[in-house]
Amino acid sequence: MANKTVAFEIKRQANPDAPAIWERFELEWRPGMNVISSMMEIAANPVTADGRATTPITYDSNCLEEICGSCAMRINGKARMACSSLVDNLEQPIKIEPLSKFPLVRDLSVDRSVLFENLKAVKAWVPVDGTYDLGPGPRVFPQQQEVNYPLSNCISCCCCMEVCPQFNDATGFVGAATIAQVKLFNNHPTGKVFKEERLRALAGDGGVQECGYAQNCVEVCPKGIPLTDAISDVGRDVLIQKAKDFLRN
Amino acid sequence: MATAQNPAAPKLRGGVQPLRAGQGMSFVLRRLHSLLGIVPIGAFLLEHLLSNFEALKGPMAYGAQVKFLNSLPLVRVLEWTFIFIPILYHGIYGVYIWLRGRSNVVYYPYAGNWLYVAQRWTGIIAFAYIVQHVLRQRFLGADLPNNPGMAFAKVQHELSNPIMLAVYVIAMIAVCWHFAYGIWLFAAKWGITSGETARKRFGWVCLAFGVVLTVFGLASIWAFVGPQYQNAPENVPISNLMAPSGSSPLYLNSFRQVS
Repeated sequence: MANKTVAFEIKRQANPDAPAIWERFELEWRPGMNVISSMMEIAANPVTADGRATTPITYDSNCLEEICGSCAMRINGKARMACSSLVDNLEQPIKIEPLSKFPLVRDLSVDRSVLFENLKAVKAWVPVDGTYDLGPGPRVFPQQQEVNYPLSNCISCCCCMEVCPQFNDATGFVGAATIAQVKLFNNHPTGKVFKEERLRALAGDGGVQECGYAQNCVEVCPKGIPLTDAISDVGRDVLIQKAKDFLRN
Repeated sequence: MATAQNPAAPKLRGGVQPLRAGQGMSFVLRRLHSLLGIVPIGAFLLEHLLSNFEALKGPMAYGAQVKFLNSLPLVRVLEWTFIFIPILYHGIYGVYIWLRGRSNVVYYPYAGNWLYVAQRWTGIIAFAYIVQHVLRQRFLGADLPNNPGMAFAKVQHELSNPIMLAVYVIAMIAVCWHFAYGIWLFAAKWGITSGETARKRFGWVCLAFGVVLTVFGLASIWAFVGPQYQNAPENVPISNLMAPSGSSPLYLNSFRQVS
């Protein structure tokens, strides 16, 4: 076991306009190692497999336990979380690339602000700010909690958007994560005060209608969120809202 | 509490732009595309395949069916409003949808992703086929609305060309596939089958429906190329009031209760 190694090929790009290059790294195998611990090791000792010193790799990560959503990257071609990707389960050399649909910052780090903007556009929050004590919130029944809890697990990793054939420059599709959050906050007894606004927002260009139901989102979601169920439910709610608005005006 | 205003989405410095909350018409246009695929286009497809089935009873029955359809009130208005214009919209908007998608089935070869791609390919095959089919069978050649008796022979001539026969068989499969999966997509996107189990079950229903539809369609193609009605006459007399006395059994088959 002493000399067993793990090979990585990492796509490097010094800045958004620099040409992309591939660099190969080799690490000594250790039990239970995952991709993000390997990235840390490579960044700490940036020497390529042929012994050449290079710049430390840049990547996003934080919690290391699939709860913060930072370390999404393409591993062997598929978008997933680097922290929950065990090296022993991957084919070598392990190819690491940044997510392809978000503006590149450097190496494996990308700018995922679009999700934050989308969440703001649909008011994905519960409005409880005030200058006085609002008292206890309304009760949420356990049955409703069962539906809401999986939706609340979203870690904003953007994997569902990366793998969606409809999420691109041409459509400006909002993506599955935001639609699922609309369902979550519309289900909330206080959050539903914005229900109509959220649904009207999602009927805008790039809204829920752009979904082509390729269903890649549920296949890759690291948290197993029922994204297609949410798209179906929210799609119906948006349609009903549009019909009501049309008939009332 | 926050106000009801939707601030304009800020422009990001690159990549996919954020949702244009509440702006534009694409929701209505896209849902219209979806609806038209079921009604009237899907409904018409069913009617068309059922009518084609009459061909299995021979040239007389087929001609009588063509005559019956052409005797519907305001038939020219009906065919433009419920057939030609919806198909044109569905087809052209469908191509627009296709052009804006970026298929990635190479990297993510999941079943749903394959079906996403297949829906686009079967759609373009169906649209190209329908354009030539309407031009050649409806607007060019024998004038069927006024000579319904020539219907069987006209189709038989077309299918006697092996290339056209292949085109018809491929298009029949593509159209039935597109419609069957289209029903499934409609139910999923309009929130009718909003649960995973419901979608799975309905998937089997749509599959069975698609297979039945395809078999139906291919059977009626067989009526034109099979041995039973080879060399059908150019024109056959059609009576849709009553069968003349002493008519052959073939003739009796063309009897239709149409006033």
